[in-house]
Amino acid sequence: MTNPYVVLGVSEFATDEEIKTKYRELAKKYHPDNYADSPLADVAEQKMKEINEAYDAICEMRRNGGSSSTNYSNYGSSSSYTRTAYPDVRRLIQDGRLDDAMQILNGVSPTSRDAEWYFLMGMIYSRKGFSEQAYSYFQRAYQMNPQNSEFAAAFNSMNSRRTYQNPGYNTYDAGCSACDICTGILCADACCNCCGGRGMCC
Amino acid sequence: MFGYINIDKKRLLCGEYEVYKGIYCSLCKQMGKEYSFLSRFVLSYDCTFFAMLVMSLQDECPSFSQGRCRFNPFKKCSFCSKDEKALSLASAVCISTTYFKLIDNINDSPFYKRIFYRLLQPFFSHWRKKSKRNYPSIDKAVEDMMKNQSVAESNAECSVDEACHPTAQMLSKICEMIPEFIESDKLSDINTSKRILSTFGYHLGRWIYLIDAIDDIKDDIKHKSFNPFILNYGSDYEFYKDKVEALLNHALSEVLLSYNLLEKGRFDSIINNIIAFGMPIKQNEVLGCSDKNNIEE
Repeated sequence: MTNPYVVLGVSEFATDEEIKTKYRELAKKYHPDNYADSPLADVAEQKMKEINEAYDAICEMRRNGGSSSTNYSNYGSSSSYTRTAYPDVRRLIQDGRLDDAMQILNGVSPTSRDAEWYFLMGMIYSRKGFSEQAYSYFQRAYQMNPQNSEFAAAFNSMNSRRTYQNPGYNTYDAGCSACDICTGILCADACCNCCGGRGMCC
Repeated sequence: MFGYINIDKKRLLCGEYEVYKGIYCSLCKQMGKEYSFLSRFVLSYDCTFFAMLVMSLQDECPSFSQGRCRFNPFKKCSFCSKDEKALSLASAVCISTTYFKLIDNINDSPFYKRIFYRLLQPFFSHWRKKSKRNYPSIDKAVEDMMKNQSVAESNAECSVDEACHPTAQMLSKICEMIPEFIESDKLSDINTSKRILSTFGYHLGRWIYLIDAIDDIKDDIKHKSFNPFILNYGSDYEFYKDKVEALLNHALSEVLLSYNLLEKGRFDSIINNIIAFGMPIKQNEVLGCSDKNNIEE
């Protein structure tokens, strides 16, 4: 197994608090909700799993080593399975066979198109990268059934990315944190090393 | 279509800025070497970004040495002394995209401008032949983009998404190729990296197309040329400015989200600076600027 400290990107000598902060930051960054309608959903989930495992491993190691134990709750994947009228379409979307999924959906007669139909249509467009169309479908699904948490989540996530309130930007909102400076210096340092001391930034 | 991918200088460290400039200068030099002295003039920051992305991911460490700028002998520049692969890739992208941009310009410019572009064409087609020989797959991606773009533009009901698609797909294909061209230990799983880079490129291309479309909207109204926003939302730009901003924000956040999944390369902080600060600043500039022009009119 890879070194859990490397996975989290912290030093082995970091305090429990630092590790926890870093873990939270990463968990926020890779949270499956951010990628729900992205074709990279599985990659993000894998990454999240690695981070969870690394954090668990570090906590375990430190507890056994007599270090103060921390209480934590893992950020899990939000793959709550909803009751669906289109199980095959969902499976096709998951496998990335978007055209096939769309063909099935288009076969549904316009009169019997429910909120989930619009949601899945939005999902397909979103995975294709056609976000403007995806947005209108998500909106429609949400308007037809605002109680459904899945539709609401998709619509809200899209909305937050259309404004500046997405986790990706938020990480940088605080401006230049101490951490940024560190990574910056590390980077500059790496460049110096590459030039063997003759470089421009040394 | 060029020059929208820029750094936010005030948030970069000195060293990082030097590295960025170094890559820009090296790319300029590389283009001079591979194509011709004149081709150096078509270099853009977008291609610098591309070169940096490749360099960031590949194993070989770029090493810089000092030299003098060809255009300003009093200015000292840093040049990468090896690592020609990334630079050569980026120059090929630059040459191919500029060539097709020129062809596009010839087709939809007014008469007197067309003559000017026609005069330039022989140079460009000569360079493009070279870049096509070196990297046929890149040239193919750009050529496909041009074809699909004209198909999309001839469609009277072309949606905004459909209009973006060719450019987005081109960058998606080009970015997807990166792992094939370079040797990298960082990219642990080639297929996953390709998928990430493909999504990254797609939304990057989308953003570039959208911002270019909104930046040119004034001219397009005047010359009655194709513009997806005019076609779908009408020519009164003020009414749908928020919509355009939402589209741009969304594309940009997808770029950042997919970039986050990629293994961190050596220039991660600079690339992050561009995506998280440089590009939003440019976006505000373009949206704000068009706004000001409207008031003046």
